[in-house]
Amino acid sequence: MTGRILLVLRLVAGDVRRHPGPAAMLVLSVAVATAVLSLGMSLPGATERLYLQTRAATAGPDVVALAPGDDEAATSVLTSLANAPGVVGLSRTYRQFFATLTRRGGGEARAIVLGADRRPGPIDRPLVTSGRWVRPGGVVVEKGFAGALGVHVGDGVTIAGRSYPVVGIAVTAARTVYPWAAMGGPGGGPGDGSGLVWMDEPDTRPLAATDLPRTSLVYLRMRDPGDTAKYMATYHDTPNSAGGRVGDSAARVNSFTWQFMIGQNGVYLRDSQPIMIIGGWLLSFLAVAGMTTLAAGRAAGQTRRVGLLKVVGATPGLIGAVLLTEYLALALFADALGLAVAHVAAPAIINPSGSLLMTAAGPDGPVVAMTTVIAVGVALLTALGPAVRALRTDAVTTLSPAVRRPEYLVLLTRVAALLPIPLLLGLRLIARRPGRAILHACGTAATSIGITVLLLVYAQPEQGWDLGGVTMADLMNDQTRHMLLAVTVAMLTLALVNTVTMAWTTAKESQATMAIARTLGATPGQIAAGLSTAQLLPTLPGALAGIPFGMFLQWFFGPDEPFALSAGWLLLIPLPLLLATALVTALPARLSSRRSVAETLNTETA
Amino acid sequence: MNVLQVRGLAKRHGREQTLVRAVDGVDLDVPAGQTLAVMGPSGCGKSTLLHLLGGLERPSDGQVWLDGQRLDNAGERALARLRRRAVGFVFQSFHLVEELSAAENVELPILLAGGSPRTARRRAQLLLEQVGLAHRARQLPWKLSGGERQRVAVARALANEPLVVLADEPTGNLDTAATNEVLRLFGQLRAQGQTLVMVTHDGRVAATADRLISMRDGMFVEDTWLAS
Repeated sequence: MTGRILLVLRLVAGDVRRHPGPAAMLVLSVAVATAVLSLGMSLPGATERLYLQTRAATAGPDVVALAPGDDEAATSVLTSLANAPGVVGLSRTYRQFFATLTRRGGGEARAIVLGADRRPGPIDRPLVTSGRWVRPGGVVVEKGFAGALGVHVGDGVTIAGRSYPVVGIAVTAARTVYPWAAMGGPGGGPGDGSGLVWMDEPDTRPLAATDLPRTSLVYLRMRDPGDTAKYMATYHDTPNSAGGRVGDSAARVNSFTWQFMIGQNGVYLRDSQPIMIIGGWLLSFLAVAGMTTLAAGRAAGQTRRVGLLKVVGATPGLIGAVLLTEYLALALFADALGLAVAHVAAPAIINPSGSLLMTAAGPDGPVVAMTTVIAVGVALLTALGPAVRALRTDAVTTLSPAVRRPEYLVLLTRVAALLPIPLLLGLRLIARRPGRAILHACGTAATSIGITVLLLVYAQPEQGWDLGGVTMADLMNDQTRHMLLAVTVAMLTLALVNTVTMAWTTAKESQATMAIARTLGATPGQIAAGLSTAQLLPTLPGALAGIPFGMFLQWFFGPDEPFALSAGWLLLIPLPLLLATALVTALPARLSSRRSVAETLNTETA
Repeated sequence: MNVLQVRGLAKRHGREQTLVRAVDGVDLDVPAGQTLAVMGPSGCGKSTLLHLLGGLERPSDGQVWLDGQRLDNAGERALARLRRRAVGFVFQSFHLVEELSAAENVELPILLAGGSPRTARRRAQLLLEQVGLAHRARQLPWKLSGGERQRVAVARALANEPLVVLADEPTGNLDTAATNEVLRLFGQLRAQGQTLVMVTHDGRVAATADRLISMRDGMFVEDTWLAS
């Protein structure tokens, strides 16, 4: 048994060593598809998981209640919430100021400055991720805000004309992520995007002396944190200290539950999810297309290998094990690689603001299981056909040169006779393998879909997010664009690799035919052009077919706005795809056409 | 005792006008220790006969017994077991596994037969010494000359001490020096009492046999005993 296992491993390792290119391509295709797909599948619920981690680590409140101003009326109405239904704990009343923060070296942003306790109370204990907690004369900047501003511990910032050193960076679950730290404007209405800064409470006195807008807030702990709905429905009816209702008070109270914050935090990922999921499936299709072509290209070699093993007494089971183990091992390795990439990339995608704790991110158990099943399925589907064919063939036949009768489209072959030589050769190559041409067209269509969506999104005017004196990029918009760009680049890469594989496979399979064409007078240039043409012809319909699909996806998932690019511009998409195809097929086509005719014919008939 | 027994063996390809009788109802007995050479013009069916004897092809008619076991109706798994235990093949184009070294190629049938890696390694070392290639054990096939590759193939054929070695044009792709080296090896096998059936065009190879069968159009036309 040990000997047979060693043998299987030896044959698998030997084949991978001997053919590193196809192995690398297989790993690349599956890894890219797995990474994108697993990231896409990880997005639902990802923000919730991170928020819950942050909430647990920072003793996050169940409800945050805010009231405009910092006068007695605001304090009084907020304190009376202790009597609201289900409330079992209430923090002291905090004040926050709507100020402008200027970082040293320039750059302004809107900031919410919260007067913090030197020793945080039982509800909301922000977690310091670097530096230390607030001290007199030093401020702590919320992590997402600090990241967007490029501020670090030790840097200096100016708030309302006073300079403070940044002594720490921290996270909290008492706020929605940057740039939604305000959770409402100073008057109780909607607020502008801003970041959170904690300042030692006594240090906020100079701010209190200014006319900066301000609000007061309290953190509430509920008896049943899961049941905040009852509180939200009835807190306005809570009696206030003046004998009336909270809802009748001069200071209007707004309450935000922790469930609301999860929903608000997830807005970042709203547009990323369809990109990652649809992109992941398109990439999976490209991976299958590439691997199928690869397997077809290697079929003759694999069949001969099976023959060699049969001759020395290998059973069908052992031969099947050798063939499947190789594809399975590579697919599992690629799956692990893709998942590792997804794990590394997850923080940037799931937590783009950086405002939440990232103790555990990336694909979880079910996602890992799902992508592994897909990777194994792709490997099995790819390997099974050639394996079964090879196993069914007599040992003697497998040792002989391949005599597979190709499919043949008679009409296409006849039409080709009327055309110039490169077109004639290209069309006849397609006529021999129409299935592969269709696969290539579908792969190109998938890529064209990605490019169409990318162009439509990038053509939209960029929505700036005015965070004060400077316009900072709209993070959500940035997130969507970056995701789309990454997925499209991955698709382009796989499509190009697939095109090279198809050109290489076609060149390899048609060696004898092309050698005979050369004996009949075709030049090496015409042969190379014919091989390139065989790839270029399916590229054009594929690229054109992808455009309407891409427009549909953008219309369906994108903003409710007219397209910023006309269909005329989009019709130019096939041009770069055709050019890229011509470039990447030129090398295999040229190498193939340079091979000696005599050598080719001898090899094919040996 | 006969290692190989063949009765009414036939292999046909095609139908009616395209019917080709590659092997046309031959009978054959090969006793243990005999070296048998089969000669004939191209296309006379001698390679097909060898493939049928080794269970690489299934006959259209007739029976083949190897060591008393019928091959012609055996399943693929049983054939595989029989090939690894009782038959060693040597081909004109060597048919070594390209991604395995010379030693690993020789170890291959031993591991397939369930031998331990250590046993396989020792046996391969011994066989490669016998064919004079111990120093080339770690080389991949493409780094070996044609003669060296064929000697590795011979070593591989002998790996499981087969009852019969079937050689198909073993010197067909070799130059004179390499041919002489392979003939020397076959001479050693004959001296050791190894049963050997070879198909050849080469008179020098045939001359080393105990018995010579001439084939034409799938039939035996002459059966000559060259040595007592």
